Amino acid sequence: MFSSVHSLALHGLEVREVSVEADIAEGGLPVFEMVGFLGSEIKESKDRIRTALRNCGFYLPPKRITVNLSPADMRKTGSHFDLPVAVSLLRSMGIITESTDDTVFAGELSLSGKISKVTGILPMAIKAHELNYKRFIVPKENAAEGGAVDGIEVIGVSDIDEVIRFLNKDIVIDPRRIDVEELINTKKLYSADFSEIKGQKAARRAIEVAASGMHNILLTGPPGGGKSMMAKCIPSILPDLTKDECMEITGIHSIAGILGSEGLVTKRPFISPHHTVSRQALSGGGGIPKPGDVSLAHRGVLFLDEFPEFARSTIEILRQPMEDREIHISRASGNYTFPANFLLAAAMNPCKCGYYPDKKCTCSETSIKKYLSGISGPILDRIDIVCNVEGLSFEDLNSDETSGEDSATIRGRVTDTFEIQKKRFKDMRINFNSEMSTKDIRVFCELGEKEEELFKESFEILNLSARGYHRILRCARTIADMDHSDRISCVHLSEAIGYRSAYRGLWNV
Amino acid sequence: MCNEDIRYICALEDEFPEKLKGIPTPPQGIYVKGRLPDPGKKTVSIIGSRNNSEYGRGVAEYFAKELSKNGVQIVSGMARGIDGISQSAALAAGGSSFGILGCGIDVVYPPENRRLYEIILEKGGIISEYPPGMSPRASLFPQRNRIISALSDILLVIEARQKSGTSITVRCALDQGRDVFAVPGRITDPLSHGCNKLIADGAGIATCPGDILEALGLIKCGKNKHRKISLKKFTNLSEKQLKIIRYLDYNPININEIAYKTGYDLSDLTLELLKLELKGCVEKAGQGFYILKMNT
Repeated sequence: MFSSVHSLALHGLEVREVSVEADIAEGGLPVFEMVGFLGSEIKESKDRIRTALRNCGFYLPPKRITVNLSPADMRKTGSHFDLPVAVSLLRSMGIITESTDDTVFAGELSLSGKISKVTGILPMAIKAHELNYKRFIVPKENAAEGGAVDGIEVIGVSDIDEVIRFLNKDIVIDPRRIDVEELINTKKLYSADFSEIKGQKAARRAIEVAASGMHNILLTGPPGGGKSMMAKCIPSILPDLTKDECMEITGIHSIAGILGSEGLVTKRPFISPHHTVSRQALSGGGGIPKPGDVSLAHRGVLFLDEFPEFARSTIEILRQPMEDREIHISRASGNYTFPANFLLAAAMNPCKCGYYPDKKCTCSETSIKKYLSGISGPILDRIDIVCNVEGLSFEDLNSDETSGEDSATIRGRVTDTFEIQKKRFKDMRINFNSEMSTKDIRVFCELGEKEEELFKESFEILNLSARGYHRILRCARTIADMDHSDRISCVHLSEAIGYRSAYRGLWNV
Repeated sequence: MCNEDIRYICALEDEFPEKLKGIPTPPQGIYVKGRLPDPGKKTVSIIGSRNNSEYGRGVAEYFAKELSKNGVQIVSGMARGIDGISQSAALAAGGSSFGILGCGIDVVYPPENRRLYEIILEKGGIISEYPPGMSPRASLFPQRNRIISALSDILLVIEARQKSGTSITVRCALDQGRDVFAVPGRITDPLSHGCNKLIADGAGIATCPGDILEALGLIKCGKNKHRKISLKKFTNLSEKQLKIIRYLDYNPININEIAYKTGYDLSDLTLELLKLELKGCVEKAGQGFYILKMNT
């Protein structure tokens, strides 16, 4: 007997409809065949399904069994086809009698018949809703993730037996509903808070500027000064996620399979790959590419510690996503575009020993130059703010001096600055000052006479480049916004000039 | 000679520098590109560590500039660190400078000094004992040091560790009867050990360019106007800027520290520091660090 049930396949970030057909025919030798351009994890599912069904008390008949996943010209990967194949077989065997036409399935089977969690449930639920399905049956552990989508009943199940009884209407399972807004608004615990950081006035300020305009930032300083700690604080001062952003990020993380048990991503991501990271891991890779670190950091922070230690070819990958805010990956299987709109925070020592320009430094000028030249010009060009995180003395660490403001207070200010930018770029494609093109800069960063003069003088005496010119103006615009000032003043401008990257002769860009 | 710019001057020729003739083991001849030092002008060799500190850089620039302004020619080895810094500063101040190489005259070593090499050719000359094309070798450098000291009237050591190539040059200078001056430093600073030791052994103390000019006879004893680096020259500075300058040093100081000491707001401070930078009073040394410019 023939039967067909619905499922979905992941293709990059895209979800496509797949129908799973099963046919059990009399005559011929008994075989169990699966076709439809399948990845090896799906071909292997034959044995999983046969064993799981037997352990639940259902024996596959010794007949000619054929399973087809259509459309047959699209390569399918992922372990979530176990459940739809099993359901399709059970319908052919006459065990499930009710119709499943308005239902989509996804789930992996274990040999005991339990249903274990899979990746990509949220984007599938969105697609299923678009395709007007009424129910989506998913592993219980994924139910929270799918429940975030309005307009479709997401049912979490734990084993095959439960699925059969539910479909045959022997039992009722309430659909899982998640209120995303409520989840976002509940208080979140960040891994680091600015209140834990003592001193570092200049660096705190620089990070606030970076967060306010989503400017990329490079922290330099001696080892143990707290560069990584400060970078970790960045997500905690960025404004809360909106519902759309939350769904977008959760979708990406779901496909990458790194979603935590809470089901949704409610905090801005902080992705910190080790410097040995491969190019594919950073950009996204695989036959059908999975999102890489640049995409996982979407709408959050990508933190690269020990920046010069990264392979140069790995860092250069960042150039396109930093420019376009998304990454295009071409494979034999097609072209994929993943979002990659992140704030790049990088940290490095100023020299090999880590102490330049302190007297403790034992490096020669040549070795400092060599160390710094590990960062290419084009990447430095895309970093608007360079800032020093100084080393702390014992007195600093031991002092009773109350630590600075906490992240929540700073977040309030940053949120205000976000609003100002939103208003400014209302009808434009961009959201932040850091994204302004040279044309936008001419419109939004007009300087007064005094400022023009100061800028001109700095430009000549400090030997700034044309690239530096635009970076300073973008940054000055953000600093003025933080001050709720329409025009950029000398104070704003000089602060922005102070963030330029300057190491004698080498980094004066 | 394959290249017309390069001349070979034999020790027997008239043009051969007088100063090189009287020394122990004089060279048999020298290759010259550009011109030879003017025998009618005073000559000072400024040498020191290749791994100089920011402070050493400032001192080298200051001495080289002041000496050049008084018509002194600067001779050095065009090496990394103090050598190259003082030669660049002398040339920038409009003086002339001569580079003595430990390799073939057409070989630029270290390569990052190519720009300096070109400017020296314009405003001075390059001298070497070794034939063109010879690559640099460690064993050749002590040999070339005797020419550096021989060509000078005074040898000035800015920063040197206890054991260094500088001590070889000093020994040569003493053998050749040249005066040696050293810039004193802190007793805890390894880069000053060499200089302090020289002073202990009887070298002249160079606390300002005037000391050298005095020894050269370019200014009269007691008429030393270059005694101090005075703040009085900063005529058109505001109250605020003067206060900031007071807390700055010739060693890099972090902006947080300046803010703490002066009590100024960070954004105000950045503006004032920028203005001072534009006036040439201070300089940025690395991100977030400021240093007083010595030769203002």
